[in-house]
Amino acid sequence: MTRYVVRRLLLFVPTLWVIATLTFLLMRLAPGGPFNAEREIPPAARAALAQKYGLDRPLAAQYATFLVRAARLDFGPSYKFPTREVREIIVEGFRVSAELGGWALLVALLVGIPLGVIAALRQNTLADTAVMAAALAGVSIPNFVLGPLLVLAFSLGLFWLPPALWEGPQSRVLPVLTLAAAYVAYVARLTRAGMLEVLRQDFIRTARAKGLPERVVVLKHALRLGLLPVVSYLGPAAAAVIMGSLVVEQVFAVPGLGRYLVNGAFNRDYTLVMGVVLFYAAFLMALNLLVDLAYAWLDPRVELK
Amino acid sequence: MRRSLPWVALALAAVLSGCAAGGDETSPPPLRGPRYFGSVRPPHGDVLRFINGAEPETIDPALVSGEPEGRLARALFEGLATTDPRTLEPRPGQAARWETSADGLRWTFHLRPGLVWSDGPPLTARDFVWSWLRALSPATAARNAGLLHAIAGAEDFNRGVTSDPATVGLTAPDDTTLVVRLAHPVPYLLHLTAYPTLLPVPRHAVKRWGDAWTRPGHLVSNGAFVLARWRQNQSYELTRNPRYRDAARVRLERVVAYSVEDLNTAANLYKAGRVDWNTSGYVPSPFVPRLRADADFRSAPYQAVYFYSMNVKRPPFDDVRVRRALNLAVDREAIARDLLKGTRAPWGRLTPQGYPGYPAPPPLRHDPADARAWLARAGYPGGKGFPRISILFSTSEDHRRIAEAIQAMWTRTLGIPVALRNMEWGSTLQAMTALDYDVARRSWIGDYLDPGTFLEIMRSGDGNNRTGWSDPRYDRLLLAARGERDPARRLRLLGEAEALLLADGPVIPIYHYSTTELVKPYVRGLWPNALDTHPLRDVWIDHAWRPGRRNAGGPAADPEERP
Amino acid sequence: MSATTLPVALTAAAAGPPRSLWSDARRRLARNHAAVASAWLLAFVVLACFAAPWLPGLADPAAQDLRLGAALPSATHPFGTDELGRDLLVRVLYGGRISLLVGLVGTLVSLLVGVSWGAVAGYAGGKLDEFMMRTVDVLYALPNIFLVILLMVFFSRSLLMLFVALGLVQWLTMARIVRGQVLTLKRQTFVEAARALGASDRSIVFRHIVPNTLGPVVVYATLTVPAVVLQEAFLSFLGLGVQPPDASWGTLIADGARVMALFPGLVVFPGLALSLTLLAFNFLGDGLRDALDPQDKQQGR
Repeated sequence: MTRYVVRRLLLFVPTLWVIATLTFLLMRLAPGGPFNAEREIPPAARAALAQKYGLDRPLAAQYATFLVRAARLDFGPSYKFPTREVREIIVEGFRVSAELGGWALLVALLVGIPLGVIAALRQNTLADTAVMAAALAGVSIPNFVLGPLLVLAFSLGLFWLPPALWEGPQSRVLPVLTLAAAYVAYVARLTRAGMLEVLRQDFIRTARAKGLPERVVVLKHALRLGLLPVVSYLGPAAAAVIMGSLVVEQVFAVPGLGRYLVNGAFNRDYTLVMGVVLFYAAFLMALNLLVDLAYAWLDPRVELK
Repeated sequence: MRRSLPWVALALAAVLSGCAAGGDETSPPPLRGPRYFGSVRPPHGDVLRFINGAEPETIDPALVSGEPEGRLARALFEGLATTDPRTLEPRPGQAARWETSADGLRWTFHLRPGLVWSDGPPLTARDFVWSWLRALSPATAARNAGLLHAIAGAEDFNRGVTSDPATVGLTAPDDTTLVVRLAHPVPYLLHLTAYPTLLPVPRHAVKRWGDAWTRPGHLVSNGAFVLARWRQNQSYELTRNPRYRDAARVRLERVVAYSVEDLNTAANLYKAGRVDWNTSGYVPSPFVPRLRADADFRSAPYQAVYFYSMNVKRPPFDDVRVRRALNLAVDREAIARDLLKGTRAPWGRLTPQGYPGYPAPPPLRHDPADARAWLARAGYPGGKGFPRISILFSTSEDHRRIAEAIQAMWTRTLGIPVALRNMEWGSTLQAMTALDYDVARRSWIGDYLDPGTFLEIMRSGDGNNRTGWSDPRYDRLLLAARGERDPARRLRLLGEAEALLLADGPVIPIYHYSTTELVKPYVRGLWPNALDTHPLRDVWIDHAWRPGRRNAGGPAADPEERP
Repeated sequence: MSATTLPVALTAAAAGPPRSLWSDARRRLARNHAAVASAWLLAFVVLACFAAPWLPGLADPAAQDLRLGAALPSATHPFGTDELGRDLLVRVLYGGRISLLVGLVGTLVSLLVGVSWGAVAGYAGGKLDEFMMRTVDVLYALPNIFLVILLMVFFSRSLLMLFVALGLVQWLTMARIVRGQVLTLKRQTFVEAARALGASDRSIVFRHIVPNTLGPVVVYATLTVPAVVLQEAFLSFLGLGVQPPDASWGTLIADGARVMALFPGLVVFPGLALSLTLLAFNFLGDGLRDALDPQDKQQGR
């Protein structure tokens, strides 16, 4: 087990290095720089700014410094917001995005799993088809369509909930629902499939034959294995939630990391974009590792190579 | 799964019909009195919530260059003079009174006694000297340091030619006196002192915290408000400063400035009643024709002009006859009327309206026949032999529509081939600076209430020129105006300069900007003015306001002051 | 019944009409009404969108009517108009052309790259396989949507760049699937036979093995198209995909969302078009997957 973990962790470094180099090159090769504004900056001021960000040195030197600092998680100050360190922007943004994503995944699990179980238990009945149809609809309606529709109904129509921003419990509702919708659907489908697979097994039949109540059969015996597909989905789900949050954060003006990434890309905020991309990559890899470990723990048949 | 399709279809139909029913906005409003856009319930408490636009890059007054930053800086800090929110006249701010020498080169400001910073220490004239020198210091990299260049020795100090602050004409003989020596007269200096770059900055806080001095808890201010809270990329929260010199006059307890750029989000927040004031520019333009009927919509002209510039370093634009032809072929009226639906005024000058006493030259006109004549004189009769030119603009639906319209006008009237070229903002700016374009879309917003702020950009070699145009006669007129003490004569010189610019220059003015803002009817103290500045210390919430009732002082669209 | 007829009847019943994998699959698919309906819907949508320029009676998508502005659905404008007075139905049809085109071409790119990569890796085995799949792993770990965003922001935002960027992102799973299939297939006897007959490696891979992977490939391709369409819409919504004057469903939705406080129809109609199309693709893909391998353990993706 430990050898596996160590090997996976070792894979982090080259992957991150590749990403870092790619982003660095893209940023430097792309046209445009960080100092542009309608007003002209006097040359002395421009030189001072260049020095502050280290842009006056040769490319190789910049690259070396960048790598060294990145290892320390120090990305320097942001270009667009010169009094702020990229690191603290990422921390602040991550706090918000993590909350949004966390709630969304929680909702997805709390709603999706029971739905999937019900659908599996009542396979091919009305309940099953209803759940599966709703699931498919949830997957097919993009979140940037669902979000505006929810806002139209609950915010601009009924004035119940705020249409945007992230302050107070009321403002959590619509963004979380929008983001969670697709994942409720995925989780429901996966749970249903996993449960169907497990319920076919011999040991379930044995348990039923032994006279155990249905609830115990399902919850104690079937669920643990039936949820395996869901667990292995959590890794890609987290990644997808992060991607989905880019749009949800735009639609609802939530001050999360996704918004910083998109705005940073438009503003040529080099340091911020590099920091965010590296952060996301490391985070996703760590998450995937955790998920693989959880999967191995849950399913004794799996062996980690 | 097989039988689910009809259910899905049913569900979707329900959603669709619900939405369609909600969209019945085009029916005429009921004749019950003024109509408002969305909820009109006042907030709890004396709090003003408004849309401030993009997340401010910084609220350090010396570094401020955009509107969102400026609004916050002006709410937190006060300069020597303030501007009257209705007339834009300078009023005493931190300075109680001032004198000018006979030649206009020496100003003496007398600060009020007993001024203090929000954390207690006294505010003296030395604070102003220190703040202005800091803004001029090359290490600070202040974008608008150029506004201080009128001070003797300031330009050299700012460009790094000298590094001794004593060479700059700023002295504080005692705690309440500030003496400013100028390199040339600046009649609008008082207006400048209200500009963020010239606001005082707390030395003790900056020295203690360095770059982090603008954080809540560190920031110390001398204006009507202090910084209470900052939610990253979402909002800045200000609260009343009890140590402000005129604290009794400030009626708001709290101000929340939301960093929202998206027009749709801004409109939605306003409609849902979560913000009270949607500042200018954050109303989607397709809404404007419909919103005109609403009592909470306001539109007034302000100091900004939208124009095209021509790259005179590239033929055929080096020929003044070609430039004239292109200018005469643009039908500004049609653009303003049909494309912009009357939300903007067509404009034929570079300087906007609103300068009392300024003898503006006659605006450029639309005359297709004359345009064709000039083009023929330049050697391209009927457009024959004219090279293919392109109009450069940054990505925006508005810019595109206007570019398409002008492209059509030039092709139809002059018979010349015109293409469109659009890039994102950063690249557009680079192309313009590098003179790598034919015709480019631009706009300019006035920094202070004087035509000079528009005409200076076309001086030879000015960083904001970006056309390669250089005319020694124009430069001479501007220089003469700088040294002219008599205001009337000075404005006349500027008028002559502009006349020259319009006749021979590289600009094609198109329209004059207007504010488009939404203000809830219970918000008072926001008066429309030419610079679109609204000191927050004069704003208050009228909790007694009720919809439909005849409220004291008349309709909300005409705000009045409570005694 | 006499003793002789029973065995004959039995064997005849056991033999049945001639069956193959494909006809089996076709019959299972035909019984899936949702999938069939989706297939018809998709055919209709694709036809309507691609034939739009030649359909009689349709307005010009660029024709503006500034005086009309945004209007509700009516007889002349079944979907209403946008703020420039352009007919929304036509814009949705033309937008569909772009969206579907991007989806199809992107899928094609990912197909070509993914199938070749996976087939070569699976067949070659050993070090080459190890290296190729390690590359896939590394690339898979990359948050590739970010690379797409970066590419689109910093380089040309042309349609071509969009195809390349999106295709680059989707081929990885295809490669993995194909490799898995190839690993199983290459041990089969028909491959040994082909080798014994002297066929070159390349012809074995591409003429014998790949065609046998078609089942999962087709299923995955059907599910990739909506994924690419969705990604394009997502990018266009952020302003990074299709650029004006071209419009796709993504840009129409983004434009509609901007004015939805007063004109909700502008976001509802394109949103519905996109959602229904994606729904149909997903139904069809599910149906194909069920039809081709009803015991598929990967169900639920």
